[in-house]
Amino acid sequence: MLEIDGLRKRYGDKTALDGVGFAVRPGEMFGFVGANGAGKTTTMRIVMGVLDADSGEVRLGGRPLTYDDRRTFGYMPEERGLYQKMKVAEQIEYFGRLHGLAPAAARSATDALIERLGLVERRDDAVEALSLGNQQRVQLAVALVHEPAVLILDEPFSGLDPLAVDALAEVLKDRAAAGVPVIFSSHQLDLVEQLCDSVGIISAGRMVAYGPVGELREREGRGVLRVVVRDAAPGWADGLPGELTREGDRDVLLCEEGDDQDILRTAMGAGRVEHFGRRQPTLAEIFREAVA
Amino acid sequence: MNGLWLVAQREIRTRIRTKSYLISLAVSAVLVAALAFLPKVLGGDDTYDVGVVGEAPPPAAQLAYSPLPDEAAARKAVVDGDLDAALIKGDKVLANGELDQRLGLILESAHRDAQIKAAGLTITPLTVESVGADARYQGVRTGIATLIVMVLFFLLIYSSMFVAMGVVEEKGSRIVEILLTSVRPWQLLGGKIVGLGALGLVNLVVVIAAGLSASSATGFTADLPPGMGGIVVSAVVWFVLGYAFFSALAAAFGSLVSRQEELNSVLTPMTMLMMFTYLTAYFAAVEPTGTVARVLSFVPPFSSMVMPVRTAAVDVPLVEILIAAVLMVVAVVAVLLGAARVYRRAVLRTGARVKLGEVVR
Repeated sequence: MLEIDGLRKRYGDKTALDGVGFAVRPGEMFGFVGANGAGKTTTMRIVMGVLDADSGEVRLGGRPLTYDDRRTFGYMPEERGLYQKMKVAEQIEYFGRLHGLAPAAARSATDALIERLGLVERRDDAVEALSLGNQQRVQLAVALVHEPAVLILDEPFSGLDPLAVDALAEVLKDRAAAGVPVIFSSHQLDLVEQLCDSVGIISAGRMVAYGPVGELREREGRGVLRVVVRDAAPGWADGLPGELTREGDRDVLLCEEGDDQDILRTAMGAGRVEHFGRRQPTLAEIFREAVA
Repeated sequence: MNGLWLVAQREIRTRIRTKSYLISLAVSAVLVAALAFLPKVLGGDDTYDVGVVGEAPPPAAQLAYSPLPDEAAARKAVVDGDLDAALIKGDKVLANGELDQRLGLILESAHRDAQIKAAGLTITPLTVESVGADARYQGVRTGIATLIVMVLFFLLIYSSMFVAMGVVEEKGSRIVEILLTSVRPWQLLGGKIVGLGALGLVNLVVVIAAGLSASSATGFTADLPPGMGGIVVSAVVWFVLGYAFFSALAAAFGSLVSRQEELNSVLTPMTMLMMFTYLTAYFAAVEPTGTVARVLSFVPPFSSMVMPVRTAAVDVPLVEILIAAVLMVVAVVAVLLGAARVYRRAVLRTGARVKLGEVVR
């Protein structure tokens, strides 16, 4: 288990992190969400040891992370970095070697990744000759070549076409299925919702919401009842607690109190009930509310 | 150590394949070879062309005889400038205007020798003994020293520049963030310095080989002073020390900036120091026995260029060379440690230029 505990970081008089903490289990995919400048990148850089925290700790299996632990991690920094003039295959292999793979192992891992990420025809091209999407695939290959024990990816999906997004999602799922804790940040909240087991929302250096996706949606719904009724006569909900809004030809009623069965009966009497249930906000809704 | 070696290998493999490296290698070799030819070209021919009418006199050093049919042909050839002089039947010399003084002496003494020999006398020539230092090779040694200054300066600034550019490339592209999660800063820095240094060393060896083979091709080698091997070894050793010093400085300064465009201004203190070293070394080549040259040949980093120049120009006691080398090694170690510290702290701070004061504390 990778535990991030009470990280604090200040730049001059600006607080970047104000006690960030969460944990990711082996095989868990963790989506890290937050506005620009909220502290995602700073957190990930501290986890990777690229930056030192002012206080707080990152632990793996209960022990503070060491340099040797981090060498087994796969990391994709926010600002992509590759040797522009180096060839694709050579570059991936080089990073494999730097991470401690033997020459033959580095070569076979490189071949496998090139195959998997659809770079076969590009293997002997210089990185600078590739499209940005393909460069990103190479960047990902660099992070994956040594079969990392933990994956830390900062915005891995940004700038990818839908096919590449699918390919990357598959690779990440595979790694998670192999028992690797995966942390990635993204602004594509639907994607995070779809892929991740748990999410953390960070705002101004603090975790404002954190937990398994399902739990989070339920919790953030706060038990609010959501009823959608069609073709109801105006004023049907006057006697009920809650707030009525009109969306097209549908009435949407949100109730925080009152007896759910009474409300259902009233609604059924008023028109066609198309939806009745506890509200489950989307991640995007939770996010907007949390950071507002 | 493995990480350092991998980094060094990459530097060598990447750089050696570029056209610019191969071109600079070829250009420097050709340049030095040309410089080795230069004394011959500038000094011109040091033999005299002498036309002979009648029986040819015994061969003499620095004289090249060419037979002529008669005096009229000889007069024409001398006037046309085809010959420096013409010897008519062993007792008359034709010259175009005044006879070259040295040629005159040579011809006169050959003429005298022939007459003395004909008279059946033998004479013993004077023996010459130098009571001062052996100054026979002074000109050549000064020439070699000047050449060493230029080659060392060129290679040092060129190789150190590449170290700085490599550091900025990695910092600017942020690749350093990934690199530093798999290798230590000292491995990355050390690998870069070792790799590019090896290429600089190859360049130096090629230049020396080109210079020596050009001199032997021109027959200049016969004039090379004894102890040439020592001069070459000292140039190589001092290059390694000087390179370690300056490249570490270059890496430290380079790590302060994130863009190649900022590199020149941030490297100014280092290039100034290098220029100053170059100038003192040049001065030392001209006046190798002066106090300035003697003192600076002990002071790092000036010693890295002044000492090999002094060694080439005059005989320097071994103990002086060793003292200078030890001092330089101490300076190199100090600079490497300091540079590693600056590099480690500055290389991840991308964006605006990092102030040196913020990272040395």
